[in-house]
Amino acid sequence: MQYPEPIAKLIDSYMKLPGIGSKTATRLAFYTIDMQTDDVQAFAKSLIAAKKDLHYCSICGNITESDPCDICRDKSRDQSVVIVVEQPKDVMALEKMNDYHGLYHVLHGVLSPMEGTGPEDINIKSLIKRLQKTPIKEVIIATNATPEGEATAMYISRLIKPAGIKVTRLAHGLSVGSDIEYADEMTLLKAVEGRQEM
Amino acid sequence: MYLEQLELTNFRNYKKLILNFDQGINIFIGANAQGKTNLLEAIYVLALTRSHRTSNDKEMIQWQQDFARIDGQVMRQTGKLPLELIISKQGKRAKVNHLEQSKLSAYLGNFNVVLFAPEDLDIVKGSPATRRHFIDMEFGQMSANYLSNLSQYKLVLKQRNLYLRQLKYQQAKDLVYLEVLSDQLAAFGAKVIKIRYQLLAQMEKFAQVIHKEITNQQETLTFQYRTLIKQHALTDSEETIYQEIKAIYTENQPREIEQGTTLYGPHRDDVLFFVNDQNVQAFGSQGQQRTTALSVKLAEIDLMAAQTGEYPVLLLDDVLSELDDVRQTHLLKAFQDKVQTFLTTTSLDNVAKEIINDPKVFHIDSGMIKV
Repeated sequence: MQYPEPIAKLIDSYMKLPGIGSKTATRLAFYTIDMQTDDVQAFAKSLIAAKKDLHYCSICGNITESDPCDICRDKSRDQSVVIVVEQPKDVMALEKMNDYHGLYHVLHGVLSPMEGTGPEDINIKSLIKRLQKTPIKEVIIATNATPEGEATAMYISRLIKPAGIKVTRLAHGLSVGSDIEYADEMTLLKAVEGRQEM
Repeated sequence: MYLEQLELTNFRNYKKLILNFDQGINIFIGANAQGKTNLLEAIYVLALTRSHRTSNDKEMIQWQQDFARIDGQVMRQTGKLPLELIISKQGKRAKVNHLEQSKLSAYLGNFNVVLFAPEDLDIVKGSPATRRHFIDMEFGQMSANYLSNLSQYKLVLKQRNLYLRQLKYQQAKDLVYLEVLSDQLAAFGAKVIKIRYQLLAQMEKFAQVIHKEITNQQETLTFQYRTLIKQHALTDSEETIYQEIKAIYTENQPREIEQGTTLYGPHRDDVLFFVNDQNVQAFGSQGQQRTTALSVKLAEIDLMAAQTGEYPVLLLDDVLSELDDVRQTHLLKAFQDKVQTFLTTTSLDNVAKEIINDPKVFHIDSGMIKV
């Protein structure tokens, strides 16, 4: 026997979310039925609002309610340096550091022929345009430390270095407060390679 | 290290079996299909938690039983270490010193074995891919650095091949990105080549000694590592190798785009074996090819000992019948005092008994064992 249509549809919708299979989706759907009507309405509203009221910033590509985004509009920020990241989530992570007061640029992906993303498919063109128009002096590339992230970093640096802009890359190595004995071999190797004179 | 006692429960054709072994040579003798190799397999599985004969663990459980169990008492320099492995239809559970290990990786490495089976002869006779697979498996166990660089090399290779295809069919046209991928591939490739070269040189030294021993000082074995850069350049620094590979990619860019695939790199490497300066793969006799395979494989024992400080246990599956009497004698002599050895054979006639310091012989007949 099948579930009544409303709940079957709800289960189907939950299953579209990442990491949720049919069992979890069924549990969530039944939980939703038992929830207060107000809560369900608020939930549905925020789902739609997230989709309707959020845009990509026309300058940096980050998600925002208003275009340009708060960071791009904030003139008190250092306008001469920009950090290039893969995802909007990375901007949030870097902002938590509370020590960087420059700008960001979100690529929305990395170069990977396996996933069908070439240079035109990620936000590189707008970065180049932005560099031509604004007085940015340094680009810090903060893509992930994966082979794809490295390739993307190398690609970007080749495009913008000829323009005389300083290009830097985040350091690799031990995480702060960690014990050497628990670090894996590759992290240690990178840390030794990137050692600094005292 | 050596295996003092082995206890099997519901393992293949053995319902219940307890065997005590000798520190030197242990011989399993019996007609075909009696369960000789099953015993070697059990020792192998006890060490590595997986079988060399099957990827389906359930095959090792006796018919109509729920689980198979292997218990071993391993003597190491540090003392006696009980190991226990349970294979059930739900998965595997491993205990070291009666403590259950939540990760199999924590279990591995407590008991090391080297297996030589007839299919290992392919190291010499087989395709370059077989040899690459062999050295990758071998060196991967020894160097985490090698394993990581190799897997990154393979990933970038895949990306580059796909991108070259896209360039070939004009689905992409950005050559700067191709250069980036070439640089990246050259960087990982240089690391892979450098480690391969160093470890092969180390392995060659060990294999040479063994080969001399087996061939009664008659033959000298040498390796030659064939890769995309010239022989003499292999001793250069990693940076120089990187620059050379890069130059090769730059020079052959039009050709690689035309073919739509990466034509140069360590994924096309090969190792050649020479006996008395003659290529064994092309000109060696069957016997020479077998001896070479054996020497290369046995060098693994010394490499492992150099690395872990203890000799592993040697398992020889039906290998003696592949060698003449002289070579058998020298093989057994080469390791008899250092390494605990288990070998299977159908008859004792051709085993040179006089040179073996009292082997322990197990007669196997339909799963029944007589010492």
